[in-house]
Amino acid sequence: MDKQVELMQGTLDMLILKAVSLGALHGYGVLLRIQQISGGRLEIQQGSLYPALHRLEHQGWITSEWGESENKRRAKFYRLTAAGKRRYHAEAEKWNRMAGVIAGILRTTPEEV
Amino acid sequence: MTIWSRVRSWVRVTVFRSRAENEMDTELRFHVETYAEDLIRRGVPEEEAQRRARVEFGGIQNTKENCRDARGANIVESFFQDLRYAARSMRRSPGFAAVAVIALALGIGANAAVFSVVNAVLLRPLAYKDSERLVTILHRGSDPVAVANYFDWRDESRSFETMAAADFWTPNLTGSDPPEHLWGLLVTQNTFPMLGVQPLMGRWFAVGEDLKGAEHEVILSARLWKRRFNSDPSILGKTITLNGEAYTMVGIMPPEFKFAPFWATHAELWAPNALGDPGQTRDGNHLRIFARLKHGVTLAQSQAEISAITARLEKQYPGTNREVRVTSLREKVVGKIETPLLVFLGAVGFVLLIACANVAHMLLARSAARQKEIAVRTALGAGRMRLVRQFLTENLLLSTIGGAAGLLLAVWGTRALVALSPADIPRLDSVTIDARVVLFLIGISVLTSVFFGLAPAMHASAVNLSDTLKESGRGTSEGMRRNRFRNFLVASEFALALMLLIGAGLMIRSFSALQSVDAGFNPHNVLSMIVSVGGSKEAAPGHRAIFYQQLLDRVRTIPGVESAGGINHLPLIGDMWGWPFRIEGQPKSLPGESPSGVYRIVTPGYFQTMRLPLLRGRDITTDDNAGAPGIVIINARAASRYWPGEDAVGKRVSFANDKNKNPIWLTVIGIAADAKQGDWIGKPYPEVYLAAFQNHDFIDSPESHFAYITLVVRAAGDPGPLASVIKENVWSFDRNLPVSQMVTMDGVIADANAESRFEMLLLGMFAVVALALAAVGIYGVMSYSVTRRTHEIGIRVSLGASRINILMLVVKQGMILALIGSSVGIAGALLLSRLMTKLLYGVRPNDPITFATVTVILMIVAFVASYIPARRAMRVDPMVALRHE
Repeated sequence: MDKQVELMQGTLDMLILKAVSLGALHGYGVLLRIQQISGGRLEIQQGSLYPALHRLEHQGWITSEWGESENKRRAKFYRLTAAGKRRYHAEAEKWNRMAGVIAGILRTTPEEV
Repeated sequence: MTIWSRVRSWVRVTVFRSRAENEMDTELRFHVETYAEDLIRRGVPEEEAQRRARVEFGGIQNTKENCRDARGANIVESFFQDLRYAARSMRRSPGFAAVAVIALALGIGANAAVFSVVNAVLLRPLAYKDSERLVTILHRGSDPVAVANYFDWRDESRSFETMAAADFWTPNLTGSDPPEHLWGLLVTQNTFPMLGVQPLMGRWFAVGEDLKGAEHEVILSARLWKRRFNSDPSILGKTITLNGEAYTMVGIMPPEFKFAPFWATHAELWAPNALGDPGQTRDGNHLRIFARLKHGVTLAQSQAEISAITARLEKQYPGTNREVRVTSLREKVVGKIETPLLVFLGAVGFVLLIACANVAHMLLARSAARQKEIAVRTALGAGRMRLVRQFLTENLLLSTIGGAAGLLLAVWGTRALVALSPADIPRLDSVTIDARVVLFLIGISVLTSVFFGLAPAMHASAVNLSDTLKESGRGTSEGMRRNRFRNFLVASEFALALMLLIGAGLMIRSFSALQSVDAGFNPHNVLSMIVSVGGSKEAAPGHRAIFYQQLLDRVRTIPGVESAGGINHLPLIGDMWGWPFRIEGQPKSLPGESPSGVYRIVTPGYFQTMRLPLLRGRDITTDDNAGAPGIVIINARAASRYWPGEDAVGKRVSFANDKNKNPIWLTVIGIAADAKQGDWIGKPYPEVYLAAFQNHDFIDSPESHFAYITLVVRAAGDPGPLASVIKENVWSFDRNLPVSQMVTMDGVIADANAESRFEMLLLGMFAVVALALAAVGIYGVMSYSVTRRTHEIGIRVSLGASRINILMLVVKQGMILALIGSSVGIAGALLLSRLMTKLLYGVRPNDPITFATVTVILMIVAFVASYIPARRAMRVDPMVALRHE
């Protein structure tokens, strides 16, 4: 499975929340983390990451502070807020339910209808 | 929490914009550079790595813009951008901006002014504690009540926390200069606690202080305190002389305190009302009853209880306790003025709508001229919503400036309104521009901008790009849709203007009907004033008649005086007591059912001075004195009511009994014409005129409601200059005699019609403004249309159309719009004018003369307004018009 899949609409927010839930990350780190946990199977337009991060921070799910990166540069680190955590769980649950339902539908054979 | 974080992040990107921009820059650069470093570490050559990092990241400006959007930074940014742009485009066309702002300022200012009056009079609660629970209990909702009834109702009812009684009181203040005839009230002790307004200084009356013998205390209004005592705080506990008796001043009420809020609105001092023993009289209605409903008791429940009590009492004492109504105090105070004020508010709202329609025209015309600009902006990537927002911002700027100018106008207009309005509109002195008025003003300014601006903005933004850019933008015929909207606006303006004009026309007709009402007497050149003798040496029994006689004789010798007389209560402004009497030969009737008449006491010379004609019989003379047989003059209404088909002259009536309970008979010696009595348009009641020098009360009673005479003086010319001379003559008898209420009869009649005049003036003013705006509207649309159609007209002329054809073409277009608008307006006016019924006298709300006249006027205006541009169209030179492309 080398072929990358394009990200489905509306899932980027959830992936970002997941990524930062494991620890504070800068934007580039978020990108790397998502690629890492997806095993490099997801294609993310790098530039599209930042509007999403700013939107999530604007909505209060994540918060940011300036710190020093591994390469000794000033970088902006994002971290999940308490509200963001609740939000992430709610979203994840919704996604799993949905995925289950759709998977069920797709599994259905003609005989079962 | 999330709201808070949103606000925080929004503030960060808007207020600390440059810092946020810097941070965003750093953040994105960090990403690209770190990625490039990673690539280099993986063996990509440095130059290639940097290029790849940038390419894979995507458009950096685009990303930044999306980040700003994500935080809502652009809303504010683009608003200010729009605002700057709007200001620039206003500066570019100052004429348009000025006209639009003036129209809006007029509309908004007039609305705010009228609303400030509505706010003060109708919306603000009365200035008493929990005023919504205060009620009045009166016969037929307006007539006074007998003492015994008050006691019965107070003791038997359960609906009321408190029931208080007030009586009119006009004492003479003497002992300090000048003497003054004051207006006050006698109130039961519980009145002030019921109203719940704390005194500025001192105290209310204490329990028991309204019992006979303890009642010589007085509470002053702040106004009287300031006028007579220079607001001296040390006067509390001191005494003043009222009607020759000493009263202790125990309290001062705050300046804004007023009681009673209707009927005795000028009361300046209050004393305890010693009603005496409960067993007293059931006739002689003179108390006004005020009460406070218990918590949770409705008006209807209290009315039901009072009805039950009075029904029982009426059985017990036939003829009493009839038609007793519980009315909310608010209704009593503002009930009459509510309709006119709401009519004004509606009318002034129409004016604003017309102003909006006019500004919308101008915007439409302007947006047509700006089509190229819009097309260019669209081509450069402005979305439709972005354009609409831009236009709405421009409109908001217009209406904000209009609203600000309107606020100034409102401040001025409110003052003008208060100055113009008749004195008897309640609570007008409390009209101010308060927070509610300012909110209203802001609200209508914003609404206005949407109203006049949204449609033009939608139209303007819906340009067809390639067409507009290709065409020269002139000479092409316009889209039907925009034309239709423009026509709709003009027709609506006419409909609104017609409705306003009909309202004003009805008021003018009504006012002229009022003017032609016959007073029954001749008011010109008559001056009147009240001379009070209460507490003076002239009031002493035996002295007063002589004093009155000498005073009248002396006044008659003043140069310029034609004649003089006296009466107890002047028609129209004086009290209108009804007094029951017996007719000789008829059985004694029940109280409340006996014949009665408006009770006037007159001296010889009254009828002559007022030029009130005697229809039959003779006038009262100086020979009709205490020693002579009792006489009375009645009015025509009394004669026809009580002696139908008979000659009343020579018949005898009795108003009182002598010591032996035998009636004192008075012979009817004359019949006077009916004159106006209490109000200007009321039907005349039976009225009796007793001879002053035969009337024991008038010449001997110490009661304050008898101890004065109203002089009427007919001058050869303008009676004004006589006022001070007459006053000096009164004071030459006794420097302590108060002379008050100096008025001319012409003034009295003008006052009686002041409300109607005010309503006419105001509606007339609105209608004239509306007509002017509508005329400007139709003129604007017609001349715009002629300009746009120059090319077409040129073709028509070159194809052989005559000048008359062209004239007709344009005028017809205007007249059709006016006709459509007027038809709608007539239908609307038929519906709406019914609401004015209460304001009208002698004219029906669907008066055909008014409707016809107004429609004709409007048609003439429409014709003139479209004729002027039509003349321009007529002169179009086809060669020039066709070549002009």
